[in-house]
Amino acid sequence: MAGLEVRGLKVVFETDDGIVEAVRGIDFDVQPGERLGFVGESGSGKTTTALALMGMIDAPGRVAGGTALLGGVDLLRLSPAEHAARRLVDVAYIPQGAMNSLNPVMRVGAQIADGMIDHGTGLGRAARKARVGELLRQVGLEPSVAERFPHELSGGMKQRVAIAISIALRPQLLIADEPTSALDVITQRRVMQTLREVQDAIGAGLILIGHDMGLMAQFADRIMVLRHGRLVEEGQVRQIFREPKDAYTKELIDSVPALEQRRASVIAAFGDANAAPIIELDRAAKTYRRGLFDRTGVPALQPLSFSMAGGTPLVVSIVGQSGSGKSTLGSLLLGFLAPSEGRVLFEGRDLQTLSGAERRESHRRVQAVFQDPYAAYNPFYKVDHNLAEPLRNFGLARDRASVLLKMREACELVGLDPDQTIHRFAHQLSGGQRQRLMVGRAMMLGPRLLVADEPVSMVDASLRSSILGNLRRMKDEQGISIIYITHDLATAYEVSDYVLVLYRGRVVEAGDAETVIKDPLHPYTRLLVGSIPWPDPDRHWGGDEQAEAELAERDRQGGREPCLVRSTIPGFSLAA
Amino acid sequence: MIRVTKRLGLMVLVIWLAASINFLLPRLTDRDPIEERLAQALGDSGGSAVGIEEMVEQYKAKFGTDRPLWRQYLSMLGDTARFDLGVSINYFPDRVSQHVLTALPWSIVLLGVATLISFVIGTFLGALTIWRRSSAWLARIVPLFMVLAAIPFYLVGLILVYVFALVLGWFPPARGYSVGLNLGWNPTAIADVAYHAVLPALSIVLAAIGIWALSMRGMMVTVQGEDYMNFARAKGLSDRRRFWRYAVRNAMTPQITTLVLSFGNIVAGAILVERVFVYPGIGTLLYNSVLLVDYFLIFGCVFVLILTVAVSLMLLDLLYPLLDPRIRAGGEAHG
Repeated sequence: MAGLEVRGLKVVFETDDGIVEAVRGIDFDVQPGERLGFVGESGSGKTTTALALMGMIDAPGRVAGGTALLGGVDLLRLSPAEHAARRLVDVAYIPQGAMNSLNPVMRVGAQIADGMIDHGTGLGRAARKARVGELLRQVGLEPSVAERFPHELSGGMKQRVAIAISIALRPQLLIADEPTSALDVITQRRVMQTLREVQDAIGAGLILIGHDMGLMAQFADRIMVLRHGRLVEEGQVRQIFREPKDAYTKELIDSVPALEQRRASVIAAFGDANAAPIIELDRAAKTYRRGLFDRTGVPALQPLSFSMAGGTPLVVSIVGQSGSGKSTLGSLLLGFLAPSEGRVLFEGRDLQTLSGAERRESHRRVQAVFQDPYAAYNPFYKVDHNLAEPLRNFGLARDRASVLLKMREACELVGLDPDQTIHRFAHQLSGGQRQRLMVGRAMMLGPRLLVADEPVSMVDASLRSSILGNLRRMKDEQGISIIYITHDLATAYEVSDYVLVLYRGRVVEAGDAETVIKDPLHPYTRLLVGSIPWPDPDRHWGGDEQAEAELAERDRQGGREPCLVRSTIPGFSLAA
Repeated sequence: MIRVTKRLGLMVLVIWLAASINFLLPRLTDRDPIEERLAQALGDSGGSAVGIEEMVEQYKAKFGTDRPLWRQYLSMLGDTARFDLGVSINYFPDRVSQHVLTALPWSIVLLGVATLISFVIGTFLGALTIWRRSSAWLARIVPLFMVLAAIPFYLVGLILVYVFALVLGWFPPARGYSVGLNLGWNPTAIADVAYHAVLPALSIVLAAIGIWALSMRGMMVTVQGEDYMNFARAKGLSDRRRFWRYAVRNAMTPQITTLVLSFGNIVAGAILVERVFVYPGIGTLLYNSVLLVDYFLIFGCVFVLILTVAVSLMLLDLLYPLLDPRIRAGGEAHG
């Protein structure tokens, strides 16, 4: 095994406005077996650096200088064909969001095997099959997974398959580009554990690209902080977190929500304190049926009752892994799904029996912000069209001038410059800007309730806190109640007044954020809290084996124990 | 298995509905085919119109069109179920099925082969335009096909007839085979039929390649942006594997949908081409039977049209899970 030695790497993009330097001469080494973290916001050059090592910089971009020696070969001097031959063999890439990185029409095994075939390992069909099984076992999957198609796997399993592909030919260098950004904390911890194990097994150096300082603290040996294509700071992980030299590094570390720095929540009556409940669940449950003949169906949400008072705006978080039923609950609250049992009442009226006009009004009064700020815009129109449409639809502004005024207000509300925003296309905005604009768009319509489903899981850590700040301000200043749906307990802790922990369609623990997250009782909550990668290298990021064992035991018993209600707060009542 | 049965049931339902509409529509016109046909026959032979009323009544009884509509409808359903399409009014006393079955193979072979050829060439060219952006000959040939696609194919056909048949005399201008040819499975006959099919087939191929190329191009652009393409590249896979197994394989699925659907439309699409080239297919048959308001023959042709559409739709539904494993799960949601 040889290490990687990069000197003076420069990557430029030739655009109409001249040459843009994406990477402006950086030096670094990666020793065999070492884990190097690349941290920075989007646009910092961290992914571009990785692509340069992979030989995958496309026009209008090009490598403008530097060397990258791996085992005596300069990766930057290779022809495209030579470079392609080295990928997977010497340098392997573990993609961001393995969700869509596997070919949907090919079996998993074939996708592991084709790399071996194309790089000529000389294995016969049977030997290859055996090797695929071995690789799958190495990343913690059954060899039978080879026969499955990607859509039959969970997100965590797909990410494991991507890892299996990358280590198939025992490369000297692994590059993992935000490998777990789409996974929930529990799965993230398990996948990263696996990645660590297989890396140790093959002895390769590893570059972890990411913006999550918590994950970096738990995973990396050494960290490089990049900004605008330059190296801001480099050091051992403890040194970076204990004594950051650069202000920017400090800022990145501080942007991670930590348990110690929570703003005290103000729970205050707003408007008419005796107003009717804004939203009520009356033993609402949802079961998905597969086809006409499925009588039993798959329960997504067990009967749940709660009510949020109209006069006391609150941020209530619904926390759980994917598959816990949290997004189903969100869709019920928005009226997008009809409950299979029970009722969902908005301002005292059943969402499912509203007349057309009332339904429209309820759609205005209950607004939503979703996870993917890319998919929420119609790419065909500029931002102003996307914003003006709901205003006209709901008759909130009649003439152009008032539409424009409302749009400008919406931008300013979430801290965007209207002149820089309104007349652009969605793809010209950054992910964070888009998501902030989604919040602004929702607020513009004057809702009473906002359902935010993973609003910050796809944006950089530094933007995360500003969007969450926006949400809190909505509540405090405009009296809007917020349902915050997330798998991320850390942000739930930062933003919410009350937390419901959802596990397998059932609320297992509920209480104020302080009690539930600082002192979790239910084994599932303990597991969730224990899986959060805290930005502290000395804090153990291990699994809570005891919690896992207890949880498995409860599952065996059917998991029907009542919800642990840890505390109550005015304005929210839960009848689990 | 349940799925296949359900799908077959749906197909039968579609055919029944379409057959019913097909039965009613021509009967809503106030033209009477028997009266017209008799009047025409009389006119041709110079006979007098005396007693025509009686003859009309007689023939109506013979064809059963004097019965109430609902009885006609019921017997139509029974006959159709037995694939008995009745007797042609125009070619009396020939069976409709006989005419339809004679004409059908001509259309299916001509349009089927032409569609397949244009599909294969067009799809491949369309895929290549994205894969080999810099290729000079592609940059020239594909726009040319796009232009051809913008011209209706019967117009392309007319130009082809003018240039290659009338001016150059390389190919016959019309008909499906030479006069006096002994049709059968012998080399001379096959060669003759193929020779006659060149121009009509070419008119379809030329006009359709651009459309196939354009839609494949669009799909390839989408597929190129997918994460799995990027990962395939990061794996250092060979160019050929990435092109065929990753890009084309994924971009093909919607192409095949369109292909199967266009097979369903062969009968409808046949009318114009066959008119231009006086081809003995089902399009010409349908055209003539409409002109003559030959209820039973119209019904027969349109029924075949419905059948091809219904069968190809069913094939598509059964085929799709094989093309896209994500459909195989029986439509259940995956997270």
